[in-house]
Amino acid sequence: MIELRHLRKEYENATPLKDVNTVINDGDVISIIGPSGTGKSTLIRCINMLERPTGGQVIFDGEDITEPGYDLTKARQRMGMVFQSFNLFGHLTVIENLMQPQMDILKKSKSEAYETGVRLLKRVGMSGREFQYPDMLSGGQKQRVAIARTLAMDPDVILLDEPTSALDPTMVGEVQAVIKDLAKSGKTMMIVTHEMKFARAICNRVFYMDQGGIYEDGTPEQIFDDPKKELTRRFIMHLRVLELNVDGPDFDFIGAGTEIDRYCMQNTIPSRIQYRIRLAFEELMQQMLQPVLAETPVRVTVEYSEDEETAVMNATYGGERFDPAEGENSLSYQVLKKSVEELTYSYDPEGGEAEASDADTGSSNKFTNTVKVLIRE
Amino acid sequence: MISIKFHENQLKTNEKQSAWFEKPLRFPALILCVMLILLTFVSAGLGMQSYASEGGAGGDSDAAGKAVHEYSKLSDFDGKRIGVGTGMIQGPMVEEQIPTAELLYYNTVADMITALRQGRVDAIALPVMIIRFAQIDNEDLAWVEEGLNEPTETGAIFAKNAKGDALREEFNEFLAERIADGTMNELDEIWYGKDESRKVVGDPSDLPAEKGTLRVATDSSSPPAVYISHNNYVGIDMDLLYRFCEARGYGLEINDMIFSGIVDSVSSGKCDLGIGCIAKTEERMQSVNYSDTIYAGASVLGYLSSDSGAASGGSKAAGSSEADGSGGSFFGSLKESFEKTFIREDRWKLFMQGIGTTLLITALAILFGTLLGFCVFMVCRKGNRAANRITDFFVWLINGMPVVVLLMIFYYVVFGQLSVSGTAVSVIAFTLIFASAVYGMLVSSVGAVDRGQTEAAYALGYTDRNAFFRVVLPQALPLFMPAYKGQITALIKATAIVGYVAVQDLTKMGDIVRSRTYEAFFPLVAVAVIYFILAGILTFFVNRIELRVDPKRRPREDIMKGIDTKGADIK
Repeated sequence: MIELRHLRKEYENATPLKDVNTVINDGDVISIIGPSGTGKSTLIRCINMLERPTGGQVIFDGEDITEPGYDLTKARQRMGMVFQSFNLFGHLTVIENLMQPQMDILKKSKSEAYETGVRLLKRVGMSGREFQYPDMLSGGQKQRVAIARTLAMDPDVILLDEPTSALDPTMVGEVQAVIKDLAKSGKTMMIVTHEMKFARAICNRVFYMDQGGIYEDGTPEQIFDDPKKELTRRFIMHLRVLELNVDGPDFDFIGAGTEIDRYCMQNTIPSRIQYRIRLAFEELMQQMLQPVLAETPVRVTVEYSEDEETAVMNATYGGERFDPAEGENSLSYQVLKKSVEELTYSYDPEGGEAEASDADTGSSNKFTNTVKVLIRE
Repeated sequence: MISIKFHENQLKTNEKQSAWFEKPLRFPALILCVMLILLTFVSAGLGMQSYASEGGAGGDSDAAGKAVHEYSKLSDFDGKRIGVGTGMIQGPMVEEQIPTAELLYYNTVADMITALRQGRVDAIALPVMIIRFAQIDNEDLAWVEEGLNEPTETGAIFAKNAKGDALREEFNEFLAERIADGTMNELDEIWYGKDESRKVVGDPSDLPAEKGTLRVATDSSSPPAVYISHNNYVGIDMDLLYRFCEARGYGLEINDMIFSGIVDSVSSGKCDLGIGCIAKTEERMQSVNYSDTIYAGASVLGYLSSDSGAASGGSKAAGSSEADGSGGSFFGSLKESFEKTFIREDRWKLFMQGIGTTLLITALAILFGTLLGFCVFMVCRKGNRAANRITDFFVWLINGMPVVVLLMIFYYVVFGQLSVSGTAVSVIAFTLIFASAVYGMLVSSVGAVDRGQTEAAYALGYTDRNAFFRVVLPQALPLFMPAYKGQITALIKATAIVGYVAVQDLTKMGDIVRSRTYEAFFPLVAVAVIYFILAGILTFFVNRIELRVDPKRRPREDIMKGIDTKGADIK
């Protein structure tokens, strides 16, 4: 139904969409998730051309709507949009918000438009508010009216741009209920949202957006339960990651300690876990891995999962197989092993340049050794 | 099953709002009216008192201790304040003869005499003819025998081209005949005499106009040369010119303007000739040619003296003036003042004409200015670079200079060579000024409507045009109207300057009346009150429009009009 080919959107100081390619099928209900600033809203605003893409094409039912001179009004009629900020017409009553577009664009008679309006207001639970003005409604009520207005045009596709983000938490539920009901109706939908549980409940497909495009595309089960890619996993698991590159024996360990403290503060990590993270870092780097550091840099990542309240520290390094358990400093190893949940070592001769690492490290170093420390309160 | 509950209290709120909306306007209006009336009485009272005391004073000094001055030579005015007319030739003369004197500039003779009465100046420098004429109504006005200059000749002025020369020849010939047959002396007797019934000039529209119509530039606030009486242009120069046109078969079209504009009008070709006590000077002769001398007289210093006969040379002794007659009681003087300003010589008709002109210019400027501003806005709305640049430039140009300067540039420069009436030029200038204001207000009020409204309309499938007219504009108008109202009030007041380009609007008519009554407060207060009323009327109409364009004030019946709600389903 909708096909995106090499879609690109540049702003003066950012490029949220670098190269987006995908096909959206009839009846798909797609949740678009991802960290803020990764172009989720830009993507759906490009689909109905509220933002004109810098490059690429949007093919809607076989027609390229990005082509200059294409009559966008025809395509937009069939693609309803629900906005984060509702955008109800402030000068019209609720019922007129639903009636006027039908009369102006679909050329329906006033009575017909009125009937559709009343029916849809009932569907979103807003009967009895016909003659109020939008500024007399609560946020949740406004959004339900906005959804009804979109439905009044009987679109084939509905684009929802963070429909509950501007709402008071107490009102999120009522709007989500309406959207859930909508998702069952078989219309094609794309919804940008931060509510994972909600996204999972309504959709049959998820786009995880990051790094200028659709980073991972799959069913809700695939994305939420078993993400294939590192950034998706971090996002889904609510992982907060700290990366440190220890490049040699002269590394500023005091500075690194401060950095760990700051990281723990920012993510409200319990102090006992914080203490153990620091302990693990010191024991590993300043004791057990001293011989390694002399030869090759060690990359340390700390991941904290809010959901499970656990922290994982990974120290990876290249070079030959080196298990700290077998090293000289077995005292340190024993101390650490006692105070953490798990301390494991693995060796993978293939190694890997973990994808999370920025390209700027530039080293072709293979990280073959991995020491994993699991910390629980 | 469709069910709707009508929310009655909502409907009531709307009604209440509209009632509440008009109420505060009434109250300040009332206070203003009361203040104005008080002001009128106080100023009238003060003015009257000084008149009465001056009128009733004896030879030395009056009860208030006001000294009566006796001057006999120019040097008596060393260090004094002297009133002179803007653009008139007396200014430089006073500067030369009495270097220590302080000069104050006024636009009309009436203003000068008022200033003299109020003690703002000690003397006024005017041609002796004007002083002589003013003496008819101001018996205590006297002048110093020692003239500021040798008697100057006055004449009609003509453009420096073949057409102007031909007309000048014809006029000179006529003038020579009239001097020879004594008509000129007769004119002098008529216009400086007390007999008002003789001071009549025919109606220009009765002239034959066989040889075309002459456009004459003149200033009707320069009696005795030219002034208005009984809604007709009269005066010595006017009488002479009328006789000339009558004898030579010309029609006459009078362009009444401020004195300093006459020479420009003739030299730029907007008018064929200029009359009205125009003294010959080197400077003026560089721009225009003069006819032979119509009359000559020195410029003199006029001052107030209780005994007009003693100080002045050749002024006629006269009986008690009308002002003295009824000056005793306060209400009597007020009534007298009212009679003088409105009733005598049918002067109320002048005010009515002035109101008509002011309203015409204002209404047309509002109409065209709004249309033009809106069209320009529509062109610039989508951000077309060239259109925006050009618009910004013109808005900058128009807003960058005083309105009066803009108006005169239009009259003398842009339309200088074309025969476009001052009223038309005023309408054009004020249309541009108003359009630039409307444009600015539209930019800000449309800009104040949230961008999301347009996006929502686009997303529903509205075209750009319909999104603007159906969604954005209805929300911008309620923001636009209050500023628009303010601009209309500002506009009607701004039109008060059209007198500069020979348009007789309300303010100019007030000036003309003042030039005859030599009285400042009553015509001025009357003009101010009329402006208040006119602005009030316009604001009233705009208020009605404002209520209509606010979509939130629509009655619910309008929303439901034409919908078959299947009666039974509605509770």
